[in-house]
Amino acid sequence: MAGLTRTAGAFAVTPHKISVCILLQLYAPSAQMSLPFPFSSISQHNRLGLYLLSLTKSCDDIFEPKLEDLINQLREVGEDMDAWLTDHLTNRFSSLTSPDDLLNFFNDMRGILGSLDSGAAQDDQIILDPNSNLGMFVRRCILAFNLLSFEGVCHLFTSIEVYCREAHSSSAQYDESNDNLESLIQHDQMDMEKYIMDKATEEVELQKNASGRVPFHLHTPEALFKVTEGLLVTRKEKSRTNTKKAEATQLACASSSTVDDTLVDESLFLRTNYQIQGFLMEQADAIETHGSSLSSSSIESFLQKLQNLAPELHRVHFLRYLNKLHSDDYFAALENLLRYFDYSAGTEGFDLVLPSTGCSMYGRYEIALLCLGMMHFRFGHPNLALEVLTEAVRVSQQHSNDTCLAYTLAAMSNLLSEMGIASTTSVLGSSYSPVTSTASLLSVQQRVYILLKESLRRADTLKLRRLVASNHLAMAKFELMHVQRPLLSFGPKASVRHKTCPVSVCKEIRLGAHLLSDFSAESSTMTIDGSLSSVWLKDLQKPWGQPVFSQESGSRKSSTFFQFCDHLVSIPGSVSQIIGASYLLRATSWELYGSAPMARMNTLVYATLFGDSSSSSDAELAYLKLIQHLALYKGYKDAFAAVKIAEEKFLTVSKSKILLLKLQLLHEHALHRGNLKLAQRMCNELGGLASTTIGVDMELKVEASLREARTLLAAKQYSQAANVAHSLFCTCHKFNLQIEKASVLLLLAEIHKKSGNAVLGLPYALASISFCQSFNLDLLKASATLTLAELWLGLGSNHAKRALDLLHGAFPMILGHGGLELRARAYIFEANCYLSDPSFSVSTDSDTVLDSLRQASEELQALEYHELAAEAFYLMAMVYDKVGQLEEREEAATLFKMHITALENPQDEEPNMA
Amino acid sequence: MVSKESCRNEIRAAIRQLSDRCLYSAAKWAGEQLVGIEQDSSNFTPSNTRFQRGSSSIRRRFSTNESISTPQPSVGFSQPPATPLPQEDEVIDGDLYLLAKSYFDCREYRRASHVLRDQMSKKSVFLRCYALYLAGEKRKEEEMVELEGPLGKSDAINRELVSLERELSALKRTGAIDSFGLYLYGVVLKEKGNASLARASLVESVNSYPWNWSAWSELQSLCTSIEILNSLNLNNHWMKEFFLGSAYQELRMHSESLAKYEYLQDIFSFSNYIQAQTAKAQYSLREFDQVEIMFEDLLRNDPYRVEDMDLYSNVLYAKEACAALSYLAHKVFLTDKYRPESCCIVGNYYSLKGQHEKAVMYFRRALKLNKKYLSAWTLMGHEYVEMKNTSAAIDAYRRAVDVNPCDYRAWYGLGQAYEMMGMPFYALHYFRKSIFFLPNDSRLWIAMAKCYQSEQLHMLEEAIKCYKRAVNCGDTEGIALNQLAKLHQKLGRNEEAAFYFEKDLERMDAEGLEGPNMFEALVFLATHLKTNKKFDEAEVYCTRLLDYSGPEKEKAKSLLRGIRMAQTGFPSMDMEHFPL
Repeated sequence: MAGLTRTAGAFAVTPHKISVCILLQLYAPSAQMSLPFPFSSISQHNRLGLYLLSLTKSCDDIFEPKLEDLINQLREVGEDMDAWLTDHLTNRFSSLTSPDDLLNFFNDMRGILGSLDSGAAQDDQIILDPNSNLGMFVRRCILAFNLLSFEGVCHLFTSIEVYCREAHSSSAQYDESNDNLESLIQHDQMDMEKYIMDKATEEVELQKNASGRVPFHLHTPEALFKVTEGLLVTRKEKSRTNTKKAEATQLACASSSTVDDTLVDESLFLRTNYQIQGFLMEQADAIETHGSSLSSSSIESFLQKLQNLAPELHRVHFLRYLNKLHSDDYFAALENLLRYFDYSAGTEGFDLVLPSTGCSMYGRYEIALLCLGMMHFRFGHPNLALEVLTEAVRVSQQHSNDTCLAYTLAAMSNLLSEMGIASTTSVLGSSYSPVTSTASLLSVQQRVYILLKESLRRADTLKLRRLVASNHLAMAKFELMHVQRPLLSFGPKASVRHKTCPVSVCKEIRLGAHLLSDFSAESSTMTIDGSLSSVWLKDLQKPWGQPVFSQESGSRKSSTFFQFCDHLVSIPGSVSQIIGASYLLRATSWELYGSAPMARMNTLVYATLFGDSSSSSDAELAYLKLIQHLALYKGYKDAFAAVKIAEEKFLTVSKSKILLLKLQLLHEHALHRGNLKLAQRMCNELGGLASTTIGVDMELKVEASLREARTLLAAKQYSQAANVAHSLFCTCHKFNLQIEKASVLLLLAEIHKKSGNAVLGLPYALASISFCQSFNLDLLKASATLTLAELWLGLGSNHAKRALDLLHGAFPMILGHGGLELRARAYIFEANCYLSDPSFSVSTDSDTVLDSLRQASEELQALEYHELAAEAFYLMAMVYDKVGQLEEREEAATLFKMHITALENPQDEEPNMA
Repeated sequence: MVSKESCRNEIRAAIRQLSDRCLYSAAKWAGEQLVGIEQDSSNFTPSNTRFQRGSSSIRRRFSTNESISTPQPSVGFSQPPATPLPQEDEVIDGDLYLLAKSYFDCREYRRASHVLRDQMSKKSVFLRCYALYLAGEKRKEEEMVELEGPLGKSDAINRELVSLERELSALKRTGAIDSFGLYLYGVVLKEKGNASLARASLVESVNSYPWNWSAWSELQSLCTSIEILNSLNLNNHWMKEFFLGSAYQELRMHSESLAKYEYLQDIFSFSNYIQAQTAKAQYSLREFDQVEIMFEDLLRNDPYRVEDMDLYSNVLYAKEACAALSYLAHKVFLTDKYRPESCCIVGNYYSLKGQHEKAVMYFRRALKLNKKYLSAWTLMGHEYVEMKNTSAAIDAYRRAVDVNPCDYRAWYGLGQAYEMMGMPFYALHYFRKSIFFLPNDSRLWIAMAKCYQSEQLHMLEEAIKCYKRAVNCGDTEGIALNQLAKLHQKLGRNEEAAFYFEKDLERMDAEGLEGPNMFEALVFLATHLKTNKKFDEAEVYCTRLLDYSGPEKEKAKSLLRGIRMAQTGFPSMDMEHFPL
């Protein structure tokens, strides 16, 4: 919030403030009595005082409540004397018939203030201390009024008229609303209609005499008629809309619905610079959190209004840029970004600008470059982005803006790490950069590392906690994905220990999460009064559980609870976002390292605690992870049900990954059930998604061909599958996709195993294991070990012992963290090993084998993996046969038959999901 | 055929009707055109001849086609007068109307409209609505000042618009509206942001009553692209030619616009308006000498004119005519010092004198008077650039661009400012924008090329492309050829370099220039030709170099020596040509 100044006269008298003044007059009448007239008890008096305190605290908020809302709140505060309070309030307003009355009113206000030397006051007199919060408020109001010119007084007078008229038309409906719920709804329904009619006729009148600010009212009827439509459908639905409306009008919460209908009327009043900046910040957060699900046109229209109101408020352009950015409108985004920086020189409203550093002469154009670079990156012009960021580095060095430099370097490393996958050729061809020049000989990965280190160092010295945290996270990501290699030292003598280091990943993530504790130190400079003051008022209302809001559905409660906590510790959205990201990263790293429970736990933590504040794409990612987990560990039924829920929630998000997930799940499902045609189709669709018109997604492409190879393998077309896998391996090597390499190698081993070429498979399996080792991919390694063991067994039953040893070595990992399929495979293989071991006798030790087989069959049935399930039942039947339990044998045999037939005609139960 | 006489009659009637409806600026414009019509020799009055003779002699010197002295057969207009003059619906104005009009003339708009509250004639309805509209505008202006907050103006709007729109649309539906009412309706719709409906209403208005120039100008401001302009369904009338001339000018189709004005000059040969518009178009074509003379002429006829004089001051500025500029500024200031144009002229003067702070102050004043004064924003940007206050300059340029996004000067200024700050890549976007609007200006291409050439970007291939474009656009300053040659030389493409050096040399020879560029070109060409064993041609260049003194001469001598050596040394291997 630094960089904007509180200008003189920023405190304007508004009708709402006059309402507060009227109430203050009631609270502290100048007459001599210990308890003023309407109050029946001291506590009642104090309650009003508390309420007024919260009102004065929230008067810096962007939205001021309408008279109607104020009266509603008064009703809850005032209990039995509410009617008297509201009557007094409205009467007082209606007694203001000319500008002169206003003058007298403020003269009277002076009377309730005590003199500064408080000795003269009597004991039983209630007098406002001029230095108290309430006293200050009154003094500010009086001062602001006295500063007004006559024209200003006239404008205030007309806005009071509008303020009262609005309330008057709707006040009727609440008169009887304290009865039971049933009658409340009926009354409301009637009154709402009446209210709307009133409102509409009001509009006409307004237009006729043309004395109000008419254009702003023109929008209201439409919005209100929409509400009536909702009302007439069903009673149930009606109550919901009613709540919504109550919520929306209650106070400022930065949802789009408020933007729609509240701002329309609120634009009547002049706001202070400070308030608007705070409000815009909230809006910017909202745009980011909701992504493109927030309708861009509604934001656009309100920005347009705001711009008309305050042409010198340049931050509007920035918001418009953000909005366009999220609705993928390249040209408008670019245009608005440039316009914003042309006007403000980057000095308005950026919290990375320190007000102390003089920046009047040169402006902060390096920030413009930084933003432009990030925009180009987002729109998929990495080379352009790099040019711009290089210029940003140069300019910020030139102006010695280290803060911006740190951010730029971080952005650059982010860019390079994303782009490094796609192209290994040198992208810094034509441009020259002092930072990257030393690194020009290095690979992209090394450059990323250097940039990150550099950015981290600067951020650390400059105490940019958020940047430090996100840099740590980026570092963790880097450590996770890349083999540690001594920088700048190559040749025969360099150490050849190629390994990623999970410890350092963990360390980086932890360092990143330190932000939360660090934040308390920084928070003092970062509070956004605009939003916090309104929270005050909300919190104040909470203890007095009001009947009006008790209809709130339970589902919302959880989120409001967190909101509440959120506000209590006052963590800004950006911080909780970074911490959330650290949890997501933790989940991903555990996923890679192969600990399913840990991955799930972290994702769950993210989804519950940070779901509200996160950006929509992050939240979607968390859902995806959870659904994948479900599919792996609980079978497809649950997963598909979850997909349905997620689809409703996220399908509006641009570049939604839900579709992708669905295809993946369908593919797996089809493979398991032996429906190869469907599998092939899904595979092709995935391939189509990988290379859209926007660009080629390398990772997705790799996955698509991986799946193609698996489909071919399932169709027993071994040579083709091997071909696809080979070319895939080459691609992975070319684009430096190490982790994918490991799984491709494993797939090759699998192909050779299935084709009966165990000897050829062995080197692949071993290579895959060594890859997994160097990247610490424990789960993948376990499954590679399983394959290796299977290969050994494939060489002949004399290797059964060795295979069993290998399997037992991997068993803890497989059973602890593996998915259903892997576990089942391991069980079956174990049984196979025992059975093929000549030294093993079935008759004496049948339980060992049967146990594992039973386990396997249960898990496979959940997966509907017919092929393996058939195998398990076959083995079971054989064992039972050997042992002589004929009944069980028959049972297993029928199950075997069932799975075989299901496998042979997969079309029987075409999944309804497709 | 529209004869001058019929034109004259039409205008005379129109002036009466327009001023009767208090449409004063349209009446003023019509009046200017009326006296701009060349008088028939039959009814000359002595005063008329004196008035016209003063200008015509000068005009004749410069007018390209001597249409005045050599009457062509097709003088006048081929279209028949499509619109007959409308009859007044009441020959004698009612008493109330007369009262209302006098209130209006005293600028008591609300009073005027109140007087006419129950009058039902079309004329009264128009005047009432018009007065109401102006009252709203006045109040809006006042409110804008009253409500001005720290973030700029508040939501001051003309509060009469809604009721006016409702009334006028009702009138239009019933057909009880005349062309003046349609004009007002168009204005109201335009204010409310409904451009297409406004256009339709204005078109209807000008089709039924073409002499209302205010309606034409409103219509013109709504024609933001040539497609819109072409889609208008306008009746043929000589007023349409005026409209097209000004519309073409706004759309930067200067030659088309000039053609229109030339055509109109057949009848309105003494119109100051046409002369000023022609000057404007010529200014855009950078014919400064001609423009200066036209303006001098204009001022002689109409010494107290302030309109368009800012353009004249720009010309004087470009020609660095300090004295003339100060004279103009003084004269205009005495006429009306609170016109944006006057302030702009003074600003220009101070700028020329290098007193940039004062210049900025006057530009600021001009902008205070008219916030949408495009050239003042741009000029102020230039001043800030001079004062090295780049962020202020950027702000000013940006405002100019937001007033009119087609202003290539402001885009160019933005690019320049960012380039000054060492952000050439960022600046490129702005240069590109500027070139988009004026693709045929070599200066813009050169500026862009310099950006690419800067040591930070060092994108020489792109620079070469830009210079080539500059050359194709007819680079007058001769930077592009030289730079092209040098760039090719740097990139080691000697053949191309030689080609451009040669071309540059030709250009310098043609313009009779000399200088370091010349030496450079000669030295390069001589060495290049020598290494390619074209000794004869190399010798030519060397001998040219010998004409000059300095190190180049020595260089030439050594080159010549080398050539001789090569010439004599090389054949020495060849026995046949051995001289002895």
